[in-house]
Amino acid sequence: MKIVGLESLVFGVDDVNGASRFLVDYGLAPVAVSDRGGRFEAIDGTAVVIAQQDDPALPPAPVPGCRLRKTVMGVADEATLGAIAAELRRDREVRRLPDGAIESIDDSGFVIGFQLTARRPFVLPGELSNAPGGVVFRPINSLGVPPPGSVIRPRSLSHVVYFVPDVMKAEAFYVNRLGFRCTDRFTGTGPFLQPGGSLDHHTHFLIGAPPHMHGVEHFTFHFGGPSEMITNGYRFVEKGYQAFWGPGRHILGSNWFWYFNSPFGCHIEMDADMDQHDASWQPREATASADNSQAFLLKMRSKWYPGPGIPENGDYA
Amino acid sequence: MATTREVGPPGWARLCRSDEIGEAQSRGFDPDHEGQDSLFIVRWQGDLHGWRNACPHIDGAPMAWRRDAYLNAEGTRIVCHAHGAEFMPDTGLCVQGPCRGERLSRIALAVVDGELFVKS
Ligand code: FES
Repeated sequence: MKIVGLESLVFGVDDVNGASRFLVDYGLAPVAVSDRGGRFEAIDGTAVVIAQQDDPALPPAPVPGCRLRKTVMGVADEATLGAIAAELRRDREVRRLPDGAIESIDDSGFVIGFQLTARRPFVLPGELSNAPGGVVFRPINSLGVPPPGSVIRPRSLSHVVYFVPDVMKAEAFYVNRLGFRCTDRFTGTGPFLQPGGSLDHHTHFLIGAPPHMHGVEHFTFHFGGPSEMITNGYRFVEKGYQAFWGPGRHILGSNWFWYFNSPFGCHIEMDADMDQHDASWQPREATASADNSQAFLLKMRSKWYPGPGIPENGDYA
Repeated sequence: MATTREVGPPGWARLCRSDEIGEAQSRGFDPDHEGQDSLFIVRWQGDLHGWRNACPHIDGAPMAWRRDAYLNAEGTRIVCHAHGAEFMPDTGLCVQGPCRGERLSRIALAVVDGELFVKS
């Protein structure tokens, strides 16, 4: 099945204006936004869509308190859309929406949608490093650090992480019914899953959790590289947003990460430079301790040299 | 140079004027200059309540989604914006979410001449 990845995530929120500001400060572009909600797009058109939590047009949440109302995946062609509809109709209702997309529900109760992907192709250089001995370098006189005031925008919706009460059942649904592949696994926690039309290490990560945790741990967009991601995260913190974990770099998937609290009742991440794998990749298995999920964590120091504003004994002792 | 610790009763640190926190409002503070707010205050039905900015679900997890944003939009619940746990503003009891039945840690407060102090 040629599912190419996430297309949009739909949330019901109690404070549309606050959530809108949050998403714009994160870097997404507002499209047709009002006091009742709207769409916030990355460069390729993948998006977060928000609405008032009591909006009757919203699909139901899997459990009370979960603000994610729908996960929409993009597919490459009509044949895939038809194949998914036929597969899911074997044991559940599949609704055809007026725009041709389909909607159903996964085995954990999350509403899922599928549509022909509307991702907009774009060409923008990714981050290159001037590694001695390398073969690809940044052009001469081009700078590695995003200049002050530069606009940093997320490029594409990356992945979503569900807390599911029965992780084996949840995995079986995505693997057996929708053609996802497990790329790596945290023992006793759950699998990283890659859909058939993507090379990304994962677009879904499933975490087995008690029923009262059922919901979403986080979601994230890809940025153009670690420098963009960290610069954007730092600007986000300076605007008053609350960091939870990071910046750092994961081991499984290699993606740079920075997690923040959000008005969506889950974390939101900024990520960059995730590994890509094809069918020849052999899944790894690791324990999900902190040591296995972060290669390193960074800490910012605002002042590091003697000078005005530094205590007499220095700030770096 | 005077620090906040040198003002007010010994062993208490001044946070702000108590009337700066209105009904159903919240505000975070970092009296120990840790670089992140370690506690927050909410005013709920007239009274001020102080809580450690540490969710019982993952001990120590910071709770606001934005500086000072600890409450839901209606101002009726404290929310941990990590995984959505909801707490009563006056008792700190988690009434919905992953740590239902657990409580926030209360911080002792004192108001002297309209100034709000926290036990340090
Ligand atoms: S850390 Fe607070 S709800 Fe999970």
